[in-house]
Amino acid sequence: MDLATFKKDVWGREVILGASWDLLWLVTVAAFVIIAGHAIVMAVRRREPKPSSDGERIVRHRAADRIFHWVMAASVLVLLVTGVFPIIGIEFPWLTIHWISGLVLTAAVLFHIVRALFWQRLKCIWIRGRDFRELFDSSVKPGKYSIAQKAMHATVTVLVLLVIGSGLAMFAMIDTPWWDRSNSISEATLGWVFLVHGLSTLALIAVTALHIYFGLRPEKLFYTRSMISGWISKDELAANHDPERWSPGKSSS
Amino acid sequence: MASFDVMPDMQLFQPAELADALNLADRYREDGWLLGGGQDTYGWLKDRAKSPQAMIDLNGVDELRGIRDIADGIEIGAVTTLIDVIEDARLQRDYSLLVSAAKRVASPQIRNVGTLGGNLVQDARCWYYRRGLDCYRAGGNICYADSPQGMNREHSLFGASRCVAVSPSDTATALVALEATMVARSLDGERLIPAGEFFVGPDTHITRMTSLKPGEILTAVRIPAKWAGKHFYFEKVADRNAWDFALVSIAAAMSLDNGVVTDARIVCGGVACTPYRLHDVERVVTGKSLSEDTAKELEGLASKGARPLNYNHFKLPLMENLVRRAMQS
Amino acid sequence: MSNYRHIGKDFLPPDIVGKVTGKAKYAEDFSVDGMVFARVYTSPMAHGRVTNIDTSAVAEMDGVVGILTADDLPPVEAPNAPILTNSPAYIGEPILAVAAVDEKTAEDALARIRVDIQPLPFTVDPLDSLVEGGPDAREEGNVYVRTPEGSGFRTVKWTREQIDEFRAGNEPTGVSVSEWSYGDLDQGFANAKVIIEEPFVTVGYAHMSMEPRTAMAYWQNGVCYVYGSAQSQSFMIPGLATLLGVEQKDVVLISENTGGGFGSKIGAYPMMALPAWFSKKIGRPVQLRITREQEYYIGSARVGFQGWIKVGFAANGRVTATDVFIVEDIGPNATGGDGSSAGEAVSIVYDPESMRFRGVPVLTNTTPRGAQRGPGQNQIAAIMAPIMDKAAKQLDVDRLEIRKINAAHNGTTANTDQEPVTSAYMKEALDMGAAMFDWPGKRNKPRRNGSKVVGLGIGQGYHSAGATGYDGLVRITPDGKIHLHSGVGNLGTYSYASTTRSAAEVLKCDWDNCVIHHGNTEANLPWSSYQAGSNTSFTHQRANYVAAMDAVNKLKEIAAATLGGNAADYDIADERVFRSGNPGQSMSYAQAAERAIELGGLYSGQTWPGDIHEVTQRAVQNLAGSGLIGVAKDNLPQEGVIPGFAVAFTEIELDLETGKYEILDYVGIAECGTVIHPQGLATQMKGGAVWGMGMAGHERHVYDPQNGLPANVGYHQCGVPTYLDIPANLRTGAVDLPDPQSPFGARGIGEPAMGCSVAAVTAAVADALDGHVFNRTPISVDMILNHVAGRPQSFKPLQTNNY
Repeated sequence: MDLATFKKDVWGREVILGASWDLLWLVTVAAFVIIAGHAIVMAVRRREPKPSSDGERIVRHRAADRIFHWVMAASVLVLLVTGVFPIIGIEFPWLTIHWISGLVLTAAVLFHIVRALFWQRLKCIWIRGRDFRELFDSSVKPGKYSIAQKAMHATVTVLVLLVIGSGLAMFAMIDTPWWDRSNSISEATLGWVFLVHGLSTLALIAVTALHIYFGLRPEKLFYTRSMISGWISKDELAANHDPERWSPGKSSS
Repeated sequence: MASFDVMPDMQLFQPAELADALNLADRYREDGWLLGGGQDTYGWLKDRAKSPQAMIDLNGVDELRGIRDIADGIEIGAVTTLIDVIEDARLQRDYSLLVSAAKRVASPQIRNVGTLGGNLVQDARCWYYRRGLDCYRAGGNICYADSPQGMNREHSLFGASRCVAVSPSDTATALVALEATMVARSLDGERLIPAGEFFVGPDTHITRMTSLKPGEILTAVRIPAKWAGKHFYFEKVADRNAWDFALVSIAAAMSLDNGVVTDARIVCGGVACTPYRLHDVERVVTGKSLSEDTAKELEGLASKGARPLNYNHFKLPLMENLVRRAMQS
Repeated sequence: MSNYRHIGKDFLPPDIVGKVTGKAKYAEDFSVDGMVFARVYTSPMAHGRVTNIDTSAVAEMDGVVGILTADDLPPVEAPNAPILTNSPAYIGEPILAVAAVDEKTAEDALARIRVDIQPLPFTVDPLDSLVEGGPDAREEGNVYVRTPEGSGFRTVKWTREQIDEFRAGNEPTGVSVSEWSYGDLDQGFANAKVIIEEPFVTVGYAHMSMEPRTAMAYWQNGVCYVYGSAQSQSFMIPGLATLLGVEQKDVVLISENTGGGFGSKIGAYPMMALPAWFSKKIGRPVQLRITREQEYYIGSARVGFQGWIKVGFAANGRVTATDVFIVEDIGPNATGGDGSSAGEAVSIVYDPESMRFRGVPVLTNTTPRGAQRGPGQNQIAAIMAPIMDKAAKQLDVDRLEIRKINAAHNGTTANTDQEPVTSAYMKEALDMGAAMFDWPGKRNKPRRNGSKVVGLGIGQGYHSAGATGYDGLVRITPDGKIHLHSGVGNLGTYSYASTTRSAAEVLKCDWDNCVIHHGNTEANLPWSSYQAGSNTSFTHQRANYVAAMDAVNKLKEIAAATLGGNAADYDIADERVFRSGNPGQSMSYAQAAERAIELGGLYSGQTWPGDIHEVTQRAVQNLAGSGLIGVAKDNLPQEGVIPGFAVAFTEIELDLETGKYEILDYVGIAECGTVIHPQGLATQMKGGAVWGMGMAGHERHVYDPQNGLPANVGYHQCGVPTYLDIPANLRTGAVDLPDPQSPFGARGIGEPAMGCSVAAVTAAVADALDGHVFNRTPISVDMILNHVAGRPQSFKPLQTNNY
């Protein structure tokens, strides 16, 4: 299966057209297999007692971050739906919704980057060597974010930056209320842009599927709740995190 | 650069029954080519810009041909030739708008073999696309016409989305004005599609001009009785008086009561990727009489919202003028 | 009307029946055993360098017989058109050819060939190349200059300000590379009461030959047989021999019928030679039928103009001075010369008292340019007509009168050296046209009807219309047949046949007894002029006349030798040569022919005049001993410019709401000396009228500037006018006054027949728009609509190749 599809440019030279959308099925199947495999493994494993959500509440995500997350989630989902549904035969006027969502995502990401750079502890989300101990020693507990969460964040960061970067280049190539389209970049370069956009989209489909799956898993559901309401309980903190590495303040509620 | 004028090898099917044609259309789907009069077909195939595996010739399917009265109006088979449409007494009497439009299609030679269905589903005439370039409409990722130096005199004013080609069909404007219904058949059965929804723009599907799906065949067009014998106006302005596509055309169907417009459907061709309804004009003209004064009231409405390209802003006054002429008809 | 037996009478050219029934054979209709079919692969880029050709996917294909590339051919120095190239300078330039057992296989093979080309800068608008820093169409330069002193590439650049000033309509101040003048220009403008100064554009457009340039060729005993599509016949031989690298005697050209050339097939052209080279390589006959699309790439186009003109008029309308500057679009192969021709046309049609021409021929990466019906004359005719009207309006002189005041007459002088004309009756033509058209009546008709406005236009066309020094060949065989050998090409005007009528006239013979030989070198044809430049009627009437006179002299000498007395005692009539005053002492042409064979020598072609061309010599050699041979070179006296003129009057109705106009009436008057073939002349006048209407408002030549792509690669896209775009009834007439330097008084007409039409239509459009002058051809619907709506035009000033 090819990664890319090709076309002829205006002078008959072979250039990249974009990602091969046959990969969509591969990605879908792969995501499904991973999710199913994980679900099966988790189902047969002995269940840990679920920590109580009662008691003292600890702030995990501030409102600004929660809003960012859900704005990003919504825009990514809209982008995926508007970008992918027409390819699988569900036709509707998708482009305007797509680029508006893309702009929303871009703005959200910019907001997040600025906020993370100047107002947040960047280190708490970066993967560091010692994080890998979590994988091999169940007694090692993470700080605010587990290595899985950090890996998800890193992956999403790379993919979203790629998809935004390529998307902005593509955005410059369509008519908008602010400018008329031009063919100012070569078709060969345009092909690479489409390829990057397509491949990062495909990867995002898989990553999003996994993210949603983990977000909905019973043992992780409290994280999703925390992304909605902002807090986790003291028990949940104790069961999943190392207080040495993460000592958040109490919730105001 | 290879230049071709000999068709490549392909399977030729000449079904005599609609069921067989539907089976073939389903079997080959995107790789099949439905043949009507061939006036759009042969150019594509001889240029080898399209390479279907199979050609399904619909001309032998009798039920796709002919003009029939139905309970609510009239039905025209999709492979009925344009000359048969033009010469049909019932159409001349009740739906002269369609006859007027069909009369202005291409040239006598083309009208003799070209079919109504073929005229409706013909592909875009953008010269870049017809050149066989891999543009958006051909499944590519670029438009050569809508660029700072693109030569786009014949292209669209409205509804463009990456592709700026216009709907080339003369009869399409008339049929949208006449509130026709397109009858599409496939192995899944029959689908009735209002003419206004039959033609799709590039925002929805950039590589097709109609909502016909692979495996579907346009079998007939039905025109409702409500428009029979109403007041019609058709005019097409093209560079040449024969064998040319509309720069702008207008098809207007209006119900008049004592000279006052009670209902109107006014459609322009050549200005958008689909037949372009002038909703504002229709709204304002309803309740008014056809007159110079009404025409004055409509000034600026037809071309409102247009987004002209480098070379096509002349279509704005042309649209306005044609609306004025329709109001004076 | 003349009292001639053949001249001025209609007749049925022998190829008519074949054309009506479809039996006429064009190049494509010939086939020989073992013939294979070639297809060409052309450049997808406007300018580039071939870096690699990969034919590996084709080598093993069933049915593929061979591949020909530029490396198989002798090199050709730019700007001459190569047969195949590794340095393409326009989209569609042939790079290689594939031969296969059938056309489909050849096309299948083409699709698998991969050619890598390194792109180079290109231009589709001369002004974009002329501006400093602008791209050059060829690596050697952006301008090509042809002068008697030498020719060559140059790089000529104007400053951006100079280009902008030119675009703004001001006199160009950039350098020109050609210039001529006569008279005192400053004094001329000083004497003017009104001065009109306008920038202008005439977009070049394709020749649009209905028959693409097909050719088939094979070699036999060292002789190359070429079945081609050619305007000319014998004239092609030297050029074809050069292209094939052989001697003229080793070329046989068969071109019985030609589906249009219009200037694009005047002489031997590269595609005609390709099958011959291919055949030499693979040892089989090769037919090359290029596609319609390719015909638009390589079939050539009219030279485009971007110019500026300033014309001074005295109070009575007399043109006192004309200053014209033309930037020519000469395509990639530096073909053209239209600019100077345009200046010369002005010098004779409007006879200015003083004049200057300046020009810059600029190369572009567009279709190669070539002479097209009235090359230069017809572009400027379209521009001048509305300017004359503008001046007439300002001077309050009638539009017909201002043309008559300046009309060419027998005393008119032309061109830079102010040569005399052989004869000129432009005023008579204008009067005749005005009467037929009812100019006074139409001028006083109401002009406005709703959204429609009537416009009237008068156009004048000109082209030099004759040449000298070619050969004629007639032969009388013992069966009494008169064989008229015509080396004239059959380009559809029937002049190959009509010019032989002068031989029949001289020989006083029955036309039914004449046999025309043409269309095949092996039919033993004399050296002939090119069938272009409106010259054939004048030129070959003379050549046939001198050959027939030679035959008559020989008839008389033979009669004298046989029946006694001196040749001067004899006369001819009814295909007999008889003793004057004693008609009983006579012999038939058939008997004389038999006697000529017995006598040999000059009489039957064993020897021939020393001054005839080698092509004619070979024809005579081959015919030797078959009858009485009349052969001679046209050494008749000739002095001055031989003009062909035409005038047209037209009435249009322009709809201000649609931008469309209908041509209601058209009258075209030929001023070409004696009419030799009335039907042929009428057809020429009508064909020219239609073409002029196409140039005025329809024919397109569109290039995408970003990618160098041509949009016009088919009849539909090129917008030739249809039956519904021209008047149902095109009326024609002819002045029919003889030219003294032609034995029967005829001059040519082909090109002026079109020039008058395009000029009349552009003038009529201006008239309908209250004198608004677009200074551009074609005048398209969008231009009229934008003008009426007060909107700016879409194209930038002086932009070309945009419609």
